[in-house]
Amino acid sequence: MIDVQNLSKQYQIAKRDPGLAGAVKSLFSRKYETKQAVQDISFQIQKGEMVGYIGANGAGKSTTIKMLSGILTPSSGVVRVNGIVPYENRRRNASQIGAVFGQRTQLFWDIPIRESYHLLKHIYQVPETEFQQRLEMFTDVLDLGPLLGIPVRQMSLGQKMRAELAAAFLHNPAVVFLDEPTIGLDVAVKDRIRAFIREMNRQQETTVILTTHDMQDIEEICNRIIIIDGGKILYDGALQAIKERFGDKRTIHFDLEKNDGFTIPYALATRVEQVVSHREAAGKSNSISLSFNNAEITAAEVISEMMQAYTIRDLTIDEVHIEQIVKDIYERGL
Amino acid sequence: MIRAYYEIAKSQVKLDFAYGAWFWSSMVSSILQMLVLFYFWRAVYANGPSELHGYKLDDMITYMVVASMIGGYTNGAGGKLAEDIRGGLVAIELMRPYDQLSKLVALDLGGKFGYFLRNTVPILVLAFLFFHINLPPSWGAAAMFPLSTALGVLIGAQFDLLVGIMAFYTVNIWGLRVLRDAVLLFFTGQLVPVMLFPEWLQSVNRFLPFQSMVYVPVSIYTGALRGAEAWVQVGIQAAWLLGVFLLVRWTWSRAMRKVTIFGG
Repeated sequence: MIDVQNLSKQYQIAKRDPGLAGAVKSLFSRKYETKQAVQDISFQIQKGEMVGYIGANGAGKSTTIKMLSGILTPSSGVVRVNGIVPYENRRRNASQIGAVFGQRTQLFWDIPIRESYHLLKHIYQVPETEFQQRLEMFTDVLDLGPLLGIPVRQMSLGQKMRAELAAAFLHNPAVVFLDEPTIGLDVAVKDRIRAFIREMNRQQETTVILTTHDMQDIEEICNRIIIIDGGKILYDGALQAIKERFGDKRTIHFDLEKNDGFTIPYALATRVEQVVSHREAAGKSNSISLSFNNAEITAAEVISEMMQAYTIRDLTIDEVHIEQIVKDIYERGL
Repeated sequence: MIRAYYEIAKSQVKLDFAYGAWFWSSMVSSILQMLVLFYFWRAVYANGPSELHGYKLDDMITYMVVASMIGGYTNGAGGKLAEDIRGGLVAIELMRPYDQLSKLVALDLGGKFGYFLRNTVPILVLAFLFFHINLPPSWGAAAMFPLSTALGVLIGAQFDLLVGIMAFYTVNIWGLRVLRDAVLLFFTGQLVPVMLFPEWLQSVNRFLPFQSMVYVPVSIYTGALRGAEAWVQVGIQAAWLLGVFLLVRWTWSRAMRKVTIFGG
């Protein structure tokens, strides 16, 4: 469905000297700086896959999305969406893709959203019966019924996002780009939106590319993730695999009765490492955090050794979160 | 696809009707403007000559009313385009399967339909019932006037897009738009008839597209332009329309190349 090979993109950014003198100088001569936004990336996405495309801010996510949607021309490399080269055939590509940008509205601000949908029907040339069917289904799943007669201006963020999502799927696109579709939403709306995306994928085999900073989105929607950093792909594979690969590192936090010179019990010394958690940093000096590898020692063993050596008031075991894994990868690399 | 552009135009009409207060205040202000115009020129003629360059009072009133009526249409979707460029919305626009320029023209035409109901209809009522403006001198002129007006309005719309596209290069085009407004008001003949310009300025103006927007259709209405001469002017209008249209397409495709290759 999506084929990306050795894709690169450089920008030229005008460089300015600081201050007023620099501003005046820039009127006459400009120096340019080349910024490598995306560097030699390759991946294939099959029809019906739901891929989380994640990376820190400025990692090159939106540059990639823009090249996939034909807004940017690559500096080099191959990009194909459903067999179409987006930047050569922007309009044809446009009719088979849909997009939601969490930060921007694509609907009319001042007239009821029903009118916006009606216009989209004509723009994407959706047959009337199909349009009615789909709108009915969206109204049902996203609970749009009470919203159809209201302009976006008067909607809450959650209502707005549901309306946007329906707009993006209205022409039954083969590929949908979702850019932070759940940003700033409450849990109930997030759930509804995730359920809708899964439902569309199940019914229509819509290919979904999701960029988000909310790892819960990724866990609930995607079966594959691509991590990009500094314009390069760091990881591309199944969500489960990355969890298994990096998720064996676990941490247990202990609250000790009293803490006068803690040392790691002898039996654990070689297999466990004391780490500084945010709770100790916050000044709770009775807290001790131990990190260990699941393959070498079990959590139960660590706990029982600790109970024998110290009086323990409370303990918590960190769950393996994709968030933590991604943070580790950003910070330390693979 | 034509249907889609028609629907886009229609959506703009709906949008215009969504703002009730604006609709009525815009209508009232255009009526007031007409009244000011009417009494101003009456005062000028009451204290001065009975004729200015061959324009008697009723000729002048007729010219001014028709000129301001058409002058209201010389803008276009350039402002909207510039706004989209500034706000980064143009990127989303590029993800739509339509021709962005045609879409802007469709929006503009929709807006002009609203403008017709809001401003032109009340002016027409005022002009014929209270100011008693002259009718066109012949059936031929009456038939040619809408044609020439349509050409003039389309030239204005394309010219406005051209100014809007400049936002790709300068980001802020506020100054450019003020300049455009001033130039149009004067050189189109909306403020005073081009016939009252000094001779040298009239010759300069002959080589500019501006008098095609207002002065030519109004002169056809008043009969100042007639017969073969009128047809020549209409031909010149058509040529300008084609010229500005091609220029818009060319600058647009250059701007698009800049956007898609350099990222804006």
